[in-house]
Amino acid sequence: MTDTTERNAERARVRVSGLEKSFGDNKVLRGIDFEAREGTSTVLLGPSGSGKTTVLRSLNVLETPDRGVIGIDDVEVDFAALPPGKAGRRASGLLRAQSGMVFQAHNLFPHRTVLENVIEGPVVAQKRPREEAVADARTLLDQVRLGDRGDAYPFQLSGGQQQRVGIARALALKPRVVLFDEPTSALDPELVGEVLAVIKDLAADGWTTVIVTHEIRFAEQVADQVLFLDGGVIVEKGPSARVIGDPREERTRRFLKRVLDPG
Amino acid sequence: MRRVLRGVVLLLLVVFVAPSQVAAASARDTGQPVVRVGTEGTYPPFSFHDPRTQALGGYDIEVVEAIADQAGWKLEFVETQWDTIFPALDARRIDVIANQVSVNDERRSKYGLSDTDTYSHGVVVRRTGDDGVKTLADLKGKTTAQSSTSNWAKVARDAGANVEAVEGFAQAAELLAQGRVDAIVNDNIAVLDYLASTGSDDVEIAGNAGEELSEQVLAFRKDDSALVDQANRAITALKADGTLAGISRKYFKADVSVPDGGSADLSEGRGHRGTWEVLRSTAWPMLVGLVKVTIPLTLLSFAIGLALALVVALARISSSRILSGLARAFISIIRGTPLLLQLFIVFYGLPQIGLKFPPFTAAVIAFSLNVAGYAAEVVRAAILAVPKGQFEAAATIGLGYSLTLRRIVLPQAARTAVPPLSNTLLSLLKDTSLGSVVLLTELFRESQLAAAESNEFLALYAFAGLYYWVICVGLSAAQKRLETRLDRYVAT
Repeated sequence: MTDTTERNAERARVRVSGLEKSFGDNKVLRGIDFEAREGTSTVLLGPSGSGKTTVLRSLNVLETPDRGVIGIDDVEVDFAALPPGKAGRRASGLLRAQSGMVFQAHNLFPHRTVLENVIEGPVVAQKRPREEAVADARTLLDQVRLGDRGDAYPFQLSGGQQQRVGIARALALKPRVVLFDEPTSALDPELVGEVLAVIKDLAADGWTTVIVTHEIRFAEQVADQVLFLDGGVIVEKGPSARVIGDPREERTRRFLKRVLDPG
Repeated sequence: MRRVLRGVVLLLLVVFVAPSQVAAASARDTGQPVVRVGTEGTYPPFSFHDPRTQALGGYDIEVVEAIADQAGWKLEFVETQWDTIFPALDARRIDVIANQVSVNDERRSKYGLSDTDTYSHGVVVRRTGDDGVKTLADLKGKTTAQSSTSNWAKVARDAGANVEAVEGFAQAAELLAQGRVDAIVNDNIAVLDYLASTGSDDVEIAGNAGEELSEQVLAFRKDDSALVDQANRAITALKADGTLAGISRKYFKADVSVPDGGSADLSEGRGHRGTWEVLRSTAWPMLVGLVKVTIPLTLLSFAIGLALALVVALARISSSRILSGLARAFISIIRGTPLLLQLFIVFYGLPQIGLKFPPFTAAVIAFSLNVAGYAAEVVRAAILAVPKGQFEAAATIGLGYSLTLRRIVLPQAARTAVPPLSNTLLSLLKDTSLGSVVLLTELFRESQLAAAESNEFLALYAFAGLYYWVICVGLSAAQKRLETRLDRYVAT
C-alpha cells in the first residue's frame, strides 16, 4: 500500500482514458485520453460532430461509453467491465453524482420557481435539510447575480438569466467538477457576455470545470488547458495560449481560422 | 412509483373487500335465512314502484312477502331486467324470481319451480282496428315485441313471428302504438293493467293466445329444494286461509290464484297522472340515483382507472418487451370490445369461474378497466411530450426514475393530459347509465322505472338527460379552472 494522501495529491480531479463510443455504425469516440487537475478549467474545442459533446455527456453518464475508464475524484468506472442491470446503474449513479451539468438549452423545470429549481437536487436527491439548502441556494443565486429572482418562474426570465439559474442549479449539488455543454450557443448575442462572466468567476473561485464551447476568445481567457477534437480523437491538447495562439496541427489551424474570421 | 402502486392496491382492496364484508355482516346478525328476490320492478301490476311513495309493490311482491312471513324468510329485493333475471339466478346473485314466471318444459327441467300462484291466459295485442291480427295463427311472418327470453316470446316464435326484444311491456306497447311492430303476445292481466292505467286507445286486445291457461310460479335454483319445499308449504297454507285470494282481489277484483277464480277486472286502473305530476314525483328519486350511485361510481372508477392508466402507460413505454407487449394487448382489448360486453363479462361471466362481486364493485371494476385502456394512451402521449432535456436534467441532479416521474415529468404531462382526460371523464359519467343492466339503481334506471309505470318516456328520459347535462357542464367548468391553474408557469 502506498501512502493515500500522497497519491491523492498527485492524482488529477478528472481522469479519462481509452474512451470509445459508437452510435450504431457511427464511431463518435475513438479513444479519448485526458486529465484535468483540481481547480482548473478545461475547454473542449472542435467542429460539430467531432465528439466533444459526447465526451462531456460521458463524464455525466448521460451517454454510456462502450469502453474506457472515467474517474472523478474518488469514483472510478471502467465501462468495459460495467456490470449489467442494477449494479451497473448504481456505479453510473455514483459517478454522475460527482459532477454538475449546465445544458445548452438550460432545461430548467418550468413548473418550479427559480429557488425550487436550485434546491430540488440538494433536498430531494441529496436529502439535505431544506433550510440549509435554501440558504445555500440564496448565496448561489447572489453569486450568479439573481438574488432577487428566487420566486420567479423560468418563463419570466431572459435567456441569460435562465442559463445563470441553470448554473446555480448545477453548483447547488456541490459537485467535484462542473460540466458546461455549449452554455451560450442558444443565447441572443447580447446575453452571451453575462453568462461567460459568471463562468469566469467560477473558474477564478477555484471550481474545476470542463467546458464545451465555440467562444474561442472566452476559451483563451478562461482555459488552463484546451483539447482540440476532430473525428473522435484529441488532435491537439495543451495550454490555451499554445493551442489557440500557436496551434501545431493543420486541422486545428484550419478550424481556428474558420471560426475566428468567418467569410 | 412504489407509493403509487400501494395506493392502487389499497383502493382496490377497499372496493373489493369492504362491500362483501358489509353484506356478510348483515346476513349474520339475524337468525332468519336471507332470500334474495329477483324482480323487474317495471311490470305493473305485478312488480312496480308506487309513483307516490316509490315503494316496490304489486301482486307478486305481496305474494312473495306473504310466503316469506309463512316460511320465516328475510327478503332482500334485487331489481333487474327480465332478460338478465335467469342469469342472475344462475350466478347466485338472487335466490328466487318473483316476476310471473310462466311454467314451460324447459324451465321445469332446469329450475326448481314452486306450486302455481297465478293462473292467467295469454292474449294477442294489436294496434287498434288492425284486422290483420286476430289470433296466434295470424302472427306467422309478422313481428312482435317481447322480452326475448320470456315464455310469451316463445309462444310468439312458435306461432312463426319474428320477435323484437324489448325491456318490459310498456316499451312493447309503445313500439306497437308507433307501428314499429305488428303485435304483442302477453299475459292478459298485464295488458288490462296497461290499458286501464294509461287510458291508451292506440292498442287493443285482439283475442286469446291459444286456449290453455298459463301458470305462473316462483323459480328457484334446481339445487335449492329446501326453499322450494318451504315455498310450497306456504302457498298451500296461504291458499287455504284466503290470503292469496285477498291479495288477488285487491289488485284484480278476481281470484287469480285458482284456475277458475273469475275474469280479472282492472278497469279502474291505478289512476292516470299528468306528465308534470310524474316528473315531480320522479325528480327526487332520480337525484338520489345520481348522487348515491352515478356520481360515486363515476369518480371512483375514474380515480382507479387513472391510476391503472399510469401503470399501463409506463409499462407501454418501458424497454421491457414483455411489459410493453402486455400493456399493448390490454389497451387493444379494452378499446376493441364494447363497454357493455366488458360489464357483462365482469358481472355475469366471472361468477362462472368463482369471482363474484357485488353490483357496485363489478361496475367499478369494469368501468375502471375501460377508463384505464383509453386513458393509458393519453397518459403515454403526455409523458412522451415532455422534452427529453427534462429527463436529463432530473438525472443530472440525482433524481431516480420514480422521483423524476413524480416531481418533474408528471406535473408537466398533466398540462397536456387534462383536456383529453376530461373527455374520458365526461364519457364515463354518461356510460355509467349502462350500470342499469347490472342491478344498479342509478339515475337512468330510476327514469326507466318511472317510465315503465307511467309511460311518460319522452318527458322522463329528457329529464334524466337534463341531470347528466348539468353535471357535465359543471365538470367542464372545473376542467377550465384546472387548465388555467396548470398554465400558471407557462408564458401566455
